[in-house]
Amino acid sequence: MGVFEQLFKKKDSELTEDRVREALKVIIDPDLDKDIVTLGFVRNLKIDRGAVEFEVNLTTPACPVKEKFKSEAEAAVKAIPGVESVNVIMTATTKGQTKSPQTASSLGRVANIILVASGKGGVGKSTTAVNLAYGLSSVGSKVGLLDADIHGPSVPMMTGVKNPTQMNGDLVQPPIKDNIKMISISMFSGTDQAAIMRGPMASSMVKNFVSQVDWGELDYLIIDCPPGTGDIHLSLAQIAPATGVVIVTSPQDVAVMDAKKAIHMYSTLQIPILGVVETMSYFEVEGKKYYLFGEGGGVKLANTYSIPLLGQIPLEEKVSESSDKGAPIVLQTGKAAAAYRDFFGNVAREVSILHATRSESLSSFSLKWRGA
Amino acid sequence: MKGYIGVKEIYQADDRYLGITWTDGAESKLDVVELRRKCPCASCVDERTGERILKPDSIANTVRPLQIDSVGRYACVIAFNDGHNTGIYSFKFLRHLSGISLS
Repeated sequence: MGVFEQLFKKKDSELTEDRVREALKVIIDPDLDKDIVTLGFVRNLKIDRGAVEFEVNLTTPACPVKEKFKSEAEAAVKAIPGVESVNVIMTATTKGQTKSPQTASSLGRVANIILVASGKGGVGKSTTAVNLAYGLSSVGSKVGLLDADIHGPSVPMMTGVKNPTQMNGDLVQPPIKDNIKMISISMFSGTDQAAIMRGPMASSMVKNFVSQVDWGELDYLIIDCPPGTGDIHLSLAQIAPATGVVIVTSPQDVAVMDAKKAIHMYSTLQIPILGVVETMSYFEVEGKKYYLFGEGGGVKLANTYSIPLLGQIPLEEKVSESSDKGAPIVLQTGKAAAAYRDFFGNVAREVSILHATRSESLSSFSLKWRGA
Repeated sequence: MKGYIGVKEIYQADDRYLGITWTDGAESKLDVVELRRKCPCASCVDERTGERILKPDSIANTVRPLQIDSVGRYACVIAFNDGHNTGIYSFKFLRHLSGISLS
Protein backbone atom coordinates (compact mmCIF):
# COMPACT_ATOMS: atom_id res chain seq x y z
CA MET A 1 0.00 0.00 0.00
CA GLY A 2 1.47 3.34 -1.04
CA VAL A 3 1.80 6.32 1.22
CA PHE A 4 -1.08 8.17 -0.37
CA GLU A 5 -3.42 5.24 -0.13
CA GLN A 6 -2.58 4.91 3.53
CA LEU A 7 -3.28 8.58 4.03
CA PHE A 8 -6.63 8.32 2.29
CA LYS A 9 -7.57 5.25 4.20
CA LYS A 10 -6.81 6.94 7.45
CA LYS A 11 -8.89 9.94 6.50
CA ASP A 12 -11.73 7.74 5.40
CA SER A 13 -12.00 5.90 8.66
CA GLU A 14 -11.53 8.95 10.86
CA LEU A 15 -14.51 9.87 12.96
CA THR A 16 -15.35 13.47 12.07
CA GLU A 17 -18.28 15.79 12.69
CA ASP A 18 -19.00 15.75 8.98
CA ARG A 19 -19.32 11.98 8.99
CA VAL A 20 -21.76 12.10 11.87
CA ARG A 21 -23.80 14.81 10.16
CA GLU A 22 -23.78 12.86 6.91
CA ALA A 23 -25.05 9.76 8.73
CA LEU A 24 -27.82 11.75 10.41
CA LYS A 25 -29.10 12.99 7.06
CA VAL A 26 -31.04 9.74 6.65
CA ILE A 27 -33.52 10.96 9.24
CA ILE A 28 -36.31 12.86 7.56
CA ASP A 29 -38.87 14.99 9.36
CA PRO A 30 -42.08 13.59 7.83
CA ASP A 31 -43.93 16.90 8.21
CA LEU A 32 -41.31 19.28 6.88
CA ASP A 33 -40.05 16.75 4.35
CA LYS A 34 -36.39 17.57 4.91
CA ASP A 35 -33.64 15.81 6.85
CA ILE A 36 -32.87 16.88 10.39
CA VAL A 37 -29.37 18.14 9.54
CA THR A 38 -30.59 20.46 6.76
CA LEU A 39 -33.33 21.67 9.08
CA GLY A 40 -30.67 22.66 11.60
CA PHE A 41 -32.01 20.39 14.34
CA VAL A 42 -28.59 18.86 15.13
CA ARG A 43 -26.60 21.01 17.55
CA ASN A 44 -23.67 20.86 19.96
CA LEU A 45 -22.04 17.91 18.30
CA LYS A 46 -19.13 16.63 20.36
CA ILE A 47 -16.79 13.78 19.56
CA ASP A 48 -14.45 12.42 22.18
CA ARG A 49 -12.62 9.49 20.60
CA GLY A 50 -15.37 6.88 20.15
CA ALA A 51 -17.95 8.74 22.20
CA VAL A 52 -20.40 10.91 20.24
CA GLU A 53 -22.78 13.33 21.86
CA PHE A 54 -25.20 15.75 20.22
CA GLU A 55 -28.45 17.57 20.66
CA VAL A 56 -31.53 17.22 18.46
CA ASN A 57 -33.43 20.46 18.83
CA LEU A 58 -37.06 20.11 17.71
CA THR A 59 -39.60 22.82 17.01
CA THR A 60 -41.90 21.68 19.80
CA PRO A 61 -41.47 19.61 22.95
CA ALA A 62 -44.76 17.96 22.01
CA CYS A 63 -43.33 16.46 18.80
CA PRO A 64 -45.18 13.19 18.15
CA VAL A 65 -42.13 11.54 16.53
CA LYS A 66 -39.63 12.54 19.24
CA GLU A 67 -38.85 8.99 20.39
CA LYS A 68 -38.60 7.73 16.82
CA PHE A 69 -36.07 10.47 15.98
CA LYS A 70 -34.05 9.63 19.06
CA SER A 71 -33.74 5.92 18.33
CA GLU A 72 -33.10 6.51 14.62
CA ALA A 73 -30.37 9.02 15.43
CA GLU A 74 -28.72 6.60 17.84
CA ALA A 75 -28.83 3.77 15.32
CA ALA A 76 -27.51 5.90 12.45
CA VAL A 77 -24.52 7.15 14.42
CA LYS A 78 -23.74 3.77 16.00
CA ALA A 79 -23.42 2.31 12.52
CA ILE A 80 -20.43 4.56 11.78
CA PRO A 81 -17.18 2.60 12.22
CA GLY A 82 -15.25 3.66 15.27
CA VAL A 83 -18.25 4.85 17.27
CA GLU A 84 -18.43 3.25 20.69
CA SER A 85 -21.18 5.17 22.38
CA VAL A 86 -23.88 7.64 21.37
CA ASN A 87 -25.67 10.11 23.59
CA VAL A 88 -28.61 11.89 21.98
CA ILE A 89 -30.12 14.77 23.93
CA MET A 90 -33.61 15.75 22.80
CA THR A 91 -34.44 19.44 23.26
CA ALA A 92 -36.95 21.86 21.76
CA THR A 93 -37.25 25.54 20.97
CA THR A 94 -40.80 26.48 20.12
CA LYS A 95 -40.88 28.76 17.12
CA GLY A 96 -43.01 31.85 17.46
CA GLN A 97 -43.96 34.97 15.60
CA THR A 98 -43.25 38.67 15.92
CA LYS A 99 -46.10 40.75 17.20
CA SER A 100 -48.03 43.68 15.77
CA PRO A 101 -47.96 47.03 17.58
CA GLN A 102 -51.67 46.59 18.23
CA THR A 103 -50.90 43.43 20.09
CA ALA A 104 -51.20 43.84 23.78
CA SER A 105 -47.71 44.15 25.22
CA SER A 106 -48.48 41.50 27.80
CA LEU A 107 -48.51 39.00 24.92
CA GLY A 108 -45.06 40.09 23.74
CA ARG A 109 -43.26 36.98 24.92
CA VAL A 110 -45.95 34.48 23.95
CA ALA A 111 -44.62 32.37 21.07
CA ASN A 112 -47.90 30.88 19.88
CA ILE A 113 -51.52 31.77 20.48
CA ILE A 114 -53.92 28.93 19.75
CA LEU A 115 -57.64 29.60 19.68
CA VAL A 116 -60.04 26.79 20.50
CA ALA A 117 -63.36 27.58 18.88
CA SER A 118 -66.63 26.01 17.82
CA GLY A 119 -69.66 27.26 16.04
CA LYS A 120 -72.12 25.57 18.36
CA GLY A 121 -72.02 25.55 22.14
CA GLY A 122 -71.91 22.39 24.22
CA VAL A 123 -69.65 20.40 21.93
CA GLY A 124 -66.81 20.06 24.44
CA LYS A 125 -64.80 23.11 23.50
CA SER A 126 -63.67 23.98 27.02
CA THR A 127 -62.85 20.36 27.79
CA THR A 128 -60.74 20.31 24.63
CA ALA A 129 -58.99 23.59 25.51
CA VAL A 130 -58.17 22.39 29.02
CA ASN A 131 -56.86 19.03 27.81
CA LEU A 132 -54.81 20.71 25.09
CA ALA A 133 -53.20 22.96 27.70
CA TYR A 134 -52.51 20.09 30.12
CA GLY A 135 -51.22 17.87 27.32
CA LEU A 136 -48.74 20.44 25.98
CA SER A 137 -47.65 21.22 29.52
CA SER A 138 -47.14 17.53 30.35
CA VAL A 139 -44.33 17.30 27.77
CA GLY A 140 -42.52 20.32 29.11
CA SER A 141 -43.95 23.30 27.19
CA LYS A 142 -44.65 26.57 28.99
CA VAL A 143 -48.40 26.96 28.70
CA GLY A 144 -51.03 29.55 29.53
CA LEU A 145 -54.79 29.07 29.42
CA LEU A 146 -57.15 31.97 28.88
CA ASP A 147 -60.83 31.32 29.39
CA ALA A 148 -62.45 33.99 27.21
CA ASP A 149 -65.87 32.39 27.18
CA ILE A 150 -67.36 35.31 29.04
CA HIS A 151 -70.91 33.98 29.09
CA GLY A 152 -70.03 30.46 30.20
CA PRO A 153 -66.58 30.31 31.79
CA SER A 154 -65.70 26.76 32.81
CA VAL A 155 -61.92 26.63 33.26
CA PRO A 156 -61.91 27.22 37.06
CA MET A 157 -64.26 24.30 37.63
CA MET A 158 -62.43 22.02 35.22
CA THR A 159 -59.01 22.70 36.71
CA GLY A 160 -59.68 23.81 40.27
CA VAL A 161 -57.57 26.95 39.81
CA LYS A 162 -57.91 29.65 42.46
CA ASN A 163 -58.40 33.38 41.92
CA PRO A 164 -55.42 35.67 41.27
CA THR A 165 -54.09 37.50 44.30
CA GLN A 166 -51.10 39.46 42.99
CA MET A 167 -50.51 42.40 40.72
CA ASN A 168 -47.34 43.23 38.83
CA GLY A 169 -47.65 46.96 38.19
CA ASP A 170 -50.85 47.30 36.17
CA LEU A 171 -50.90 43.67 35.20
CA VAL A 172 -52.66 40.82 36.95
CA GLN A 173 -50.40 37.91 37.86
CA PRO A 174 -52.22 34.83 36.59
CA PRO A 175 -52.58 32.09 39.18
CA ILE A 176 -50.63 28.93 38.39
CA LYS A 177 -52.21 25.51 38.68
CA ASP A 178 -50.34 22.36 37.64
CA ASN A 179 -47.62 24.54 36.04
CA ILE A 180 -50.16 26.29 33.78
CA LYS A 181 -50.91 30.00 34.04
CA MET A 182 -54.66 30.42 33.99
CA ILE A 183 -57.07 33.30 33.79
CA SER A 184 -60.83 33.12 33.58
CA ILE A 185 -63.44 35.83 33.37
CA SER A 186 -65.25 34.17 36.23
CA MET A 187 -62.32 35.09 38.49
CA PHE A 188 -63.58 38.65 38.27
CA SER A 189 -67.30 38.10 38.41
CA GLY A 190 -67.84 34.86 40.35
CA THR A 191 -68.91 31.52 38.90
CA ASP A 192 -72.55 31.85 39.89
CA GLN A 193 -72.98 35.32 38.48
CA ALA A 194 -73.81 35.79 34.82
CA ALA A 195 -71.96 38.35 32.74
CA ILE A 196 -74.92 40.34 31.49
CA MET A 197 -73.43 42.55 28.82
CA ARG A 198 -74.15 43.93 25.40
CA GLY A 199 -71.71 43.36 22.54
CA PRO A 200 -69.47 46.43 22.85
CA MET A 201 -69.09 45.96 26.60
CA ALA A 202 -68.34 42.29 26.22
CA SER A 203 -65.65 42.85 23.61
CA SER A 204 -63.94 45.65 25.49
CA MET A 205 -63.96 43.44 28.57
CA VAL A 206 -62.28 40.68 26.59
CA LYS A 207 -59.71 43.17 25.30
CA ASN A 208 -58.79 44.28 28.81
CA PHE A 209 -58.81 40.77 29.92
CA VAL A 210 -56.25 39.72 27.31
CA SER A 211 -54.00 42.76 27.62
CA GLN A 212 -53.91 43.22 31.37
CA VAL A 213 -52.54 39.85 32.33
CA ASP A 214 -48.83 39.30 32.91
CA TRP A 215 -48.37 36.19 30.75
CA GLY A 216 -44.57 36.35 30.69
CA GLU A 217 -42.76 33.87 28.50
CA LEU A 218 -44.93 31.11 27.05
CA ASP A 219 -44.60 28.51 24.30
CA TYR A 220 -48.36 28.26 23.89
CA LEU A 221 -51.27 30.36 25.06
CA ILE A 222 -54.52 28.46 24.63
CA ILE A 223 -57.62 30.65 24.36
CA ASP A 224 -60.98 29.06 25.06
CA CYS A 225 -63.28 31.19 22.88
CA PRO A 226 -67.00 31.67 23.40
CA PRO A 227 -69.13 29.67 20.96
CA GLY A 228 -70.39 31.40 17.84
CA THR A 229 -69.04 33.98 15.44
CA GLY A 230 -69.56 37.38 16.97
CA ASP A 231 -68.12 40.59 18.30
CA ILE A 232 -65.86 38.95 20.85
CA HIS A 233 -64.22 36.76 18.22
CA LEU A 234 -63.43 39.76 16.04
CA SER A 235 -61.92 41.63 18.99
CA LEU A 236 -59.85 38.61 19.95
CA ALA A 237 -58.58 38.23 16.39
CA GLN A 238 -57.48 41.88 16.35
CA ILE A 239 -55.78 42.06 19.70
CA ALA A 240 -54.26 38.60 19.87
CA PRO A 241 -52.88 37.69 16.43
CA ALA A 242 -53.44 33.99 16.71
CA THR A 243 -51.05 31.42 15.29
CA GLY A 244 -54.04 29.29 14.42
CA VAL A 245 -57.41 28.00 15.49
CA VAL A 246 -58.62 24.53 16.43
CA ILE A 247 -62.24 23.93 15.44
CA VAL A 248 -64.20 21.68 17.79
CA THR A 249 -67.32 19.88 16.65
CA SER A 250 -69.41 16.92 17.68
CA PRO A 251 -70.48 14.55 14.87
CA GLN A 252 -74.09 15.63 14.31
CA ASP A 253 -75.05 17.81 11.36
CA VAL A 254 -76.27 20.71 13.44
CA ALA A 255 -72.86 21.10 15.09
CA VAL A 256 -70.98 20.62 11.82
CA MET A 257 -73.13 23.28 10.18
CA ASP A 258 -72.12 25.82 12.84
CA ALA A 259 -68.48 24.73 12.69
CA LYS A 260 -68.51 25.64 8.99
CA LYS A 261 -69.53 29.16 9.91
CA ALA A 262 -66.63 29.40 12.34
CA ILE A 263 -64.26 28.15 9.62
CA HIS A 264 -65.55 30.87 7.28
CA MET A 265 -65.06 33.56 9.89
CA TYR A 266 -61.47 32.55 10.72
CA SER A 267 -60.65 32.28 7.03
CA THR A 268 -61.86 35.85 6.53
CA LEU A 269 -59.66 36.95 9.41
CA GLN A 270 -56.80 34.96 7.86
CA ILE A 271 -56.24 32.99 11.03
CA PRO A 272 -54.99 29.60 9.84
CA ILE A 273 -57.22 26.64 10.67
CA LEU A 274 -54.98 24.08 12.39
CA GLY A 275 -57.64 21.43 11.99
CA VAL A 276 -60.80 19.86 13.35
CA VAL A 277 -61.24 17.77 16.45
CA GLU A 278 -64.38 15.68 16.76
CA THR A 279 -65.69 15.14 20.26
CA MET A 280 -68.28 12.61 21.44
CA SER A 281 -67.37 10.52 18.39
CA TYR A 282 -68.68 7.20 19.64
CA PHE A 283 -69.51 5.22 22.74
CA GLU A 284 -67.84 1.86 23.08
CA VAL A 285 -69.30 -1.13 24.91
CA GLU A 286 -67.45 -4.46 24.88
CA GLY A 287 -65.59 -3.58 21.71
CA LYS A 288 -68.64 -2.41 19.80
CA LYS A 289 -68.82 1.26 18.83
CA TYR A 290 -72.15 3.09 18.99
CA TYR A 291 -72.32 6.35 17.06
CA LEU A 292 -74.82 8.15 19.24
CA PHE A 293 -74.56 11.45 17.38
CA GLY A 294 -74.05 10.06 13.87
CA GLU A 295 -70.84 8.92 12.32
CA GLY A 296 -67.99 10.91 10.85
CA GLY A 297 -69.20 14.53 11.00
CA GLY A 298 -65.69 15.72 11.84
CA VAL A 299 -64.12 13.61 9.08
CA LYS A 300 -66.51 15.04 6.51
CA LEU A 301 -65.82 18.56 7.69
CA ALA A 302 -62.06 18.03 7.48
CA ASN A 303 -62.42 16.58 3.97
CA THR A 304 -64.72 19.35 2.74
CA TYR A 305 -62.21 22.06 3.67
CA SER A 306 -59.03 19.98 3.18
CA ILE A 307 -57.97 20.61 6.75
CA PRO A 308 -56.40 18.07 9.11
CA LEU A 309 -58.52 15.91 11.38
CA LEU A 310 -56.66 16.41 14.66
CA GLY A 311 -58.50 13.75 16.63
CA GLN A 312 -61.66 11.86 17.42
CA ILE A 313 -62.48 11.72 21.10
CA PRO A 314 -64.79 8.92 22.22
CA LEU A 315 -67.57 9.45 24.74
CA GLU A 316 -66.47 8.20 28.12
CA GLU A 317 -67.95 8.77 31.52
CA LYS A 318 -64.49 9.66 32.76
CA VAL A 319 -64.22 12.69 30.49
CA SER A 320 -67.02 14.69 32.04
CA GLU A 321 -66.38 13.28 35.49
CA SER A 322 -62.74 14.36 35.44
CA SER A 323 -63.72 17.76 34.08
CA ASP A 324 -66.12 18.29 36.95
CA LYS A 325 -63.48 17.22 39.44
CA GLY A 326 -60.77 19.44 38.03
CA ALA A 327 -58.46 16.60 36.94
CA PRO A 328 -58.18 16.66 33.14
CA ILE A 329 -58.58 13.34 31.34
CA VAL A 330 -55.45 13.72 29.18
CA LEU A 331 -53.26 12.84 32.18
CA GLN A 332 -55.22 9.67 32.92
CA THR A 333 -55.69 6.27 31.28
CA GLY A 334 -58.27 4.99 28.82
CA LYS A 335 -59.29 5.53 25.23
CA ALA A 336 -60.46 9.13 25.56
CA ALA A 337 -57.22 10.04 27.33
CA ALA A 338 -55.17 8.42 24.56
CA ALA A 339 -57.26 10.23 21.93
CA TYR A 340 -56.58 13.57 23.63
CA ARG A 341 -52.85 12.78 23.72
CA ASP A 342 -52.84 12.10 19.97
CA PHE A 343 -54.77 15.31 19.53
CA PHE A 344 -52.34 17.62 21.32
CA GLY A 345 -49.39 16.06 19.50
CA ASN A 346 -51.14 16.77 16.21
CA VAL A 347 -51.82 20.38 17.21
CA ALA A 348 -48.14 20.94 18.07
CA ARG A 349 -47.16 19.35 14.77
CA GLU A 350 -49.52 21.57 12.75
CA VAL A 351 -48.16 24.68 14.47
CA SER A 352 -44.59 23.66 13.58
CA ILE A 353 -45.58 23.00 9.95
CA LEU A 354 -47.26 26.38 9.80
CA HIS A 355 -44.10 28.18 10.95
CA ALA A 356 -42.03 26.30 8.40
CA THR A 357 -44.32 27.27 5.52
CA ARG A 358 -45.43 30.75 6.52
CA SER A 359 -42.09 32.20 7.53
CA GLU A 360 -42.02 34.70 4.68
CA SER A 361 -45.22 36.45 5.70
CA LEU A 362 -44.94 39.40 8.08
CA SER A 363 -47.12 38.62 11.06
CA SER A 364 -47.11 42.30 11.97
CA PHE A 365 -45.83 45.67 10.81
CA SER A 366 -45.93 49.36 11.62
CA LEU A 367 -45.03 51.90 8.95
CA LYS A 368 -44.55 55.60 9.71
CA TRP A 369 -45.16 57.86 6.70
CA ARG A 370 -42.33 60.30 6.06
CA GLY A 371 -43.07 63.94 5.29
CA ALA A 372 -46.73 63.79 6.31
CA MET B 1 -55.43 27.50 3.34
CA LYS B 2 -56.85 28.61 0.03
CA GLY B 3 -57.06 32.32 -0.72
CA TYR B 4 -54.56 33.22 1.99
CA ILE B 5 -52.61 36.34 1.22
CA GLY B 6 -49.94 37.89 3.39
CA VAL B 7 -47.61 40.85 3.25
CA LYS B 8 -43.94 40.11 2.67
CA GLU B 9 -42.87 43.74 2.66
CA ILE B 10 -44.65 47.08 3.07
CA TYR B 11 -42.94 50.40 2.40
CA GLN B 12 -43.37 54.01 1.36
CA ALA B 13 -42.58 54.04 -2.36
CA ASP B 14 -42.58 57.83 -2.68
CA ASP B 15 -44.44 60.85 -1.30
CA ARG B 16 -47.85 59.55 -2.42
CA TYR B 17 -47.56 55.81 -3.06
CA LEU B 18 -47.62 52.84 -0.74
CA GLY B 19 -45.70 49.80 -1.92
CA ILE B 20 -46.55 46.21 -0.96
CA THR B 21 -44.81 42.99 -1.90
CA TRP B 22 -47.22 40.11 -1.37
CA THR B 23 -46.39 36.58 -0.28
CA ASP B 24 -47.26 35.26 -3.75
CA GLY B 25 -44.65 37.58 -5.25
CA ALA B 26 -47.05 40.17 -6.69
CA GLU B 27 -46.23 43.88 -6.32
CA SER B 28 -48.72 46.66 -5.64
CA LYS B 29 -48.31 50.43 -5.68
CA LEU B 30 -51.27 52.16 -4.09
CA ASP B 31 -52.16 55.84 -4.18
CA VAL B 32 -52.70 56.87 -0.55
CA VAL B 33 -55.14 59.66 -1.51
CA GLU B 34 -57.23 57.07 -3.34
CA LEU B 35 -57.04 54.80 -0.27
CA ARG B 36 -58.45 57.61 1.87
CA ARG B 37 -61.29 58.15 -0.65
CA LYS B 38 -62.06 54.42 -0.69
CA CYS B 39 -62.04 54.09 3.11
CA PRO B 40 -64.17 51.02 3.96
CA CYS B 41 -65.19 52.09 7.48
CA ALA B 42 -68.80 52.34 8.62
CA SER B 43 -68.88 56.14 8.51
CA CYS B 44 -67.61 56.20 4.91
CA VAL B 45 -69.68 53.30 3.52
CA ASP B 46 -73.29 52.49 4.46
CA GLU B 47 -73.12 49.14 6.22
CA ARG B 48 -76.44 47.86 4.94
CA THR B 49 -76.53 49.05 1.34
CA GLY B 50 -72.79 49.18 0.70
CA GLU B 51 -73.35 52.70 -0.69
CA ARG B 52 -70.47 55.17 -0.38
CA ILE B 53 -71.34 57.99 2.01
CA LEU B 54 -68.00 59.76 1.74
CA LYS B 55 -67.83 62.20 -1.19
CA PRO B 56 -64.51 61.71 -2.99
CA ASP B 57 -64.26 65.48 -3.67
CA SER B 58 -64.34 66.18 0.04
CA ILE B 59 -60.86 64.66 0.35
CA ALA B 60 -57.96 66.95 -0.53
CA ASN B 61 -55.12 65.71 -2.69
CA THR B 62 -52.78 66.63 0.13
CA VAL B 63 -54.06 63.94 2.48
CA ARG B 64 -51.33 61.53 3.63
CA PRO B 65 -51.08 58.69 6.11
CA LEU B 66 -49.37 59.23 9.42
CA GLN B 67 -48.98 55.59 10.25
CA ILE B 68 -50.01 52.18 8.95
CA ASP B 69 -50.30 49.30 11.42
CA SER B 70 -51.20 45.67 10.91
CA VAL B 71 -54.45 44.35 12.41
CA GLY B 72 -54.44 40.69 13.28
CA ARG B 73 -53.32 38.63 10.31
CA TYR B 74 -55.72 39.91 7.72
CA ALA B 75 -55.67 43.69 7.52
CA CYS B 76 -54.10 47.02 8.38
CA VAL B 77 -55.43 50.23 9.82
CA ILE B 78 -54.36 53.56 8.32
CA ALA B 79 -54.27 56.74 10.40
CA PHE B 80 -54.52 59.75 8.05
CA ASN B 81 -53.40 63.30 8.73
CA ASP B 82 -56.98 64.58 8.35
CA GLY B 83 -57.76 62.82 11.62
CA HIS B 84 -59.51 59.83 10.07
CA ASN B 85 -58.26 56.53 11.48
CA THR B 86 -61.16 54.09 11.54
CA GLY B 87 -60.69 52.33 8.22
CA ILE B 88 -59.53 48.71 8.43
CA TYR B 89 -58.17 47.75 5.01
CA SER B 90 -58.15 43.98 4.62
CA PHE B 91 -55.29 42.58 2.53
CA LYS B 92 -57.90 41.17 0.15
CA PHE B 93 -59.41 44.65 -0.28
CA LEU B 94 -55.97 46.16 -0.97
CA ARG B 95 -55.33 43.46 -3.55
CA HIS B 96 -58.69 44.19 -5.12
CA LEU B 97 -57.86 47.92 -5.26
CA SER B 98 -54.55 47.25 -6.96
CA GLY B 99 -56.31 45.17 -9.57
CA ILE B 100 -54.37 41.94 -9.04
CA SER B 101 -56.57 38.91 -8.54
CA LEU B 102 -55.76 36.28 -5.94
CA SER B 103 -54.46 33.02 -7.24
